[in-house]
Amino acid sequence: MQDQASLVAVLNSTWFASGLEPGIQTRLAEFSRTFTAEPGQELFREGDESKLFGVVIKGRVALRTHVPERGDFTILTVEPGDVYGWSALVPPYRATSTAVAIEAVEAITFEGPALRAALREDAALAQALYPRVLVAVARRLNATRVQLLDLFAAEQVRTW
Amino acid sequence: MVISASRSPRGSRPAIEGPGFLARADLQVLFDLLREDGRRLIGPTVSDGSIIYDDITSVDQLPRGWGDEQSPGRYRLRRRGDERLFGYVVGPTAWKKWTFPALIPLTRSTHDGHKVSFEPEQATAPKLAFLGARACELAALGVQDRVLIGTEFIDPDYMVRRANVFVVAVQCTTSASTCFCTSMGTGPEVTEGFDLSLTELDAGFLVDAGTPAGRAVLERLPLRAATAAEQYGVAATVAAVRARIGDPVPTDGLHDRLLAQLDHPRWAQVAERCITCGNCTLACPTCFCTTLTQTTDLSGETALASRSWDSCFSPGFAKVAGGSFRARPRDRYRQWLTHKFATWWDQFGTSGCVGCGRCITWCPVGIDVRDELNAIAPPVPLSPESRLVEPVAATPNEFVTARVVNTKAETADTTTLTLTGVDPAFSHGSTGQFAMVALPGFPPLPISISRFLTDGIELTIRGAGPATKAMCALQVGDQVGLRGPLGNNWPLDRAVGRDLVIVTGGIGLAPLRPVLHAIVADRRRFGDVKLFYGARTPADLIYRDELERWGKRDGIDVSLTVDRAGPDWSGRVGIVTHLFDQAVWDGSNMIAFVCGPERMMQAASTTLAGRGVSASRIHVTLERHMECGIGLCGHCQMGKYFVCRDGPVFSIAQLGDTFGREGI
Ligand SMILES: Cc1cc2nc3c(=O)[nH]c(=O)nc-3n(C[C@H](O)[C@H](O)[C@H](O)COP(=O)(O)OP(=O)(O)OC[C@H]3O[C@@H](n4cnc5c(N)ncnc54)[C@H](O)[C@@H]3O)c2cc1C
Ligand code: SF4
Ligand code: SF4
Ligand code: FES
Repeated sequence: MQDQASLVAVLNSTWFASGLEPGIQTRLAEFSRTFTAEPGQELFREGDESKLFGVVIKGRVALRTHVPERGDFTILTVEPGDVYGWSALVPPYRATSTAVAIEAVEAITFEGPALRAALREDAALAQALYPRVLVAVARRLNATRVQLLDLFAAEQVRTW
Repeated sequence: MVISASRSPRGSRPAIEGPGFLARADLQVLFDLLREDGRRLIGPTVSDGSIIYDDITSVDQLPRGWGDEQSPGRYRLRRRGDERLFGYVVGPTAWKKWTFPALIPLTRSTHDGHKVSFEPEQATAPKLAFLGARACELAALGVQDRVLIGTEFIDPDYMVRRANVFVVAVQCTTSASTCFCTSMGTGPEVTEGFDLSLTELDAGFLVDAGTPAGRAVLERLPLRAATAAEQYGVAATVAAVRARIGDPVPTDGLHDRLLAQLDHPRWAQVAERCITCGNCTLACPTCFCTTLTQTTDLSGETALASRSWDSCFSPGFAKVAGGSFRARPRDRYRQWLTHKFATWWDQFGTSGCVGCGRCITWCPVGIDVRDELNAIAPPVPLSPESRLVEPVAATPNEFVTARVVNTKAETADTTTLTLTGVDPAFSHGSTGQFAMVALPGFPPLPISISRFLTDGIELTIRGAGPATKAMCALQVGDQVGLRGPLGNNWPLDRAVGRDLVIVTGGIGLAPLRPVLHAIVADRRRFGDVKLFYGARTPADLIYRDELERWGKRDGIDVSLTVDRAGPDWSGRVGIVTHLFDQAVWDGSNMIAFVCGPERMMQAASTTLAGRGVSASRIHVTLERHMECGIGLCGHCQMGKYFVCRDGPVFSIAQLGDTFGREGI
């Protein structure tokens, strides 16, 4: 994952960025970096400033949240193709969970402030990227709702 | 004369019990009797190199000593070297030429200034006798009866013509390579739909009557009682014909198999050969599609509307302003084949094909429907999963017992019980079926069979309430009461040769476990098999050892996910549909089995549909309150279905918009 062309190819292989116009992908690749993490490595911590927006290429990132007296819970894993750190694009730019690599992870990351600046300046980039971010976040929101239903619980929670 | 398919009670003939024997030399007597009755005789005769049906008056016009050779696209007469009069197989003519003529006048209309009037043609029909109708042809007459006069609206012309026909059937003592009446369940034995039947022997015929009218004629024939040897000889000959034909088109499940293949590549391949001439539909004894043509006189004041045979192969058949719905040959071939062998059942409760083989012989390019059917909707070797056994203790007041020989705690609240001493019916049950399980003092409850063993079954039960908790608490040596196996099965036969996607959650894996066992036992019959399984937490995953084996050893692509997990879980966390909502697949070759909470099944179905899996190939299993398990108590109704009897497995196409609807 060294040169720009290969970065573009890798980006294009993810469902998040596939099919974006070549120009946009090249533009994205300009300020993206490859990133790797060892199993167990923490990528960011809940409440910290969210500095990196990333797309997972390989491996698995667990998003965890801490419940006092009950410990850490994994509420979601980010799988190849999906994004993490979207809070780097949305005020107040604070991480909403703790991210830990639970397998060796390869990702492509974008510096939050640089990406935000580019999105402000480059309308074409913003027009192409924001809907993708929205899809990724909406997909996650939907999943969260389904999880909330706790469908596999032995006793269905009845609220009526 | 035989309009209803049922055979009338026999008249009495004290002189001869059973069939009579008519010497070949006396057959003319039958001709004369029928003609005395004012009937035109239509029968087989040689003309232009084939044996056709036509007006005849004398036995001498019959194809004495002639036989035929038929194969796809080929028909030849040949000398038999004997004196047989009916030693050939069906030719190009079908009896519908007389009962449903190719062209009839329908309505005369006139235009007089501003006034218009329409005058229906009066249906008239000559009294006819059909001589030599074969078993498949009797069935074809029955099919047209069903189509044209068997529903609310009747065809008046057909009605009159049909009522005026006396049918003399001939049982087949020879067959062609194109015959497949045995597969279509129509022959070679003549069993119904005739007035008189003949079976030819070396010296004459065995004669039997099927209606009082037939008996009246039979009683005037110069018969003697048939000997036991003659009767045996006839039965053996017809049995040999049956054996020779075999079962070229296995029809078990054909309706569903065919309709599941609307996007099979073979449609395009066969269409490269098909020249859409429509010969097959014209030769077919059951095809009934017609079109109207108007002929106007020179003044333009009176017009005659005539009805003539049409064919779904003709270019204008599905035309509307702007184009045709079936513009391509492949569309028309598919229309024809799926109508004959599948949708005809939905419309008329019968197959549209009787297996006469005419469309095979008379196709100019030699397309063989049997090959097309077997290639497009391949038959499945009869395996336990495609046949359902008779349940034991079927009625709700009976139970058989079984003994617990092993218990395995799957999770904190779920236990798998191994039962033996069960009635063999259970071991022969099919994937997806369930048992009604009873303990004294508790209501009997439906529980899926989660494994079929040679001498027992397994049940995997989650202690959801009092009864299931009591079942989970059973110990080795304890007994339970059982009824079953009940319900239908996963259509595993339809998955043969396809990629299979299994989506399940929680205890929903239990009814799918036998599917996985069946696949593993015969892995090569299936394409890629993917299992997507979701549970609440890692501790709620059932069959953990097996999940690992299926993935590591048995060539099944297993993906697990849980709704939440502790830090020690390195697997996926998230909803089960996220395991495949971004997958890049060829959904057109997939079949999906889905089991879990209804809300999850809805989400999975929608996601699968979005990946290109059609509704008829997505199957779910429904859970409803069940008491009788056999469609008697009414508890499990879902729209038009009893889930216990018609399900629990349904395709999304079957359920339509009742699936997931509130309060159904
Ligand atoms: C086709 C089918 C297959 C099933 N397979 C399994 C399986 O393999 N494993 C498993 O653990 N569960 C299975 N179930 C669900 C199981 O039948 C219910 O969980 C069980 O009936 C609950 O009974 P309960 O008394 O223990 O619990 P409760 O939830 O306390 O039920 C209370 C009462 O409600 C009634 N009731 C609740 N559900 C049903 C029902 N489906 N049918 C009839 N009465 C009901 C009974 O009177 C019951 O005593 C299946 C259900 C169906 C329809
Ligand atoms: S479809 Fe072919 S084999 Fe079947 S009844 Fe028609 S002509 Fe005969
Ligand atoms: S299948 Fe054969 S007979 Fe039928 S339309 Fe095609 S070419 Fe003609
Ligand atoms: S359980 Fe009685 S009708 Fe289905």
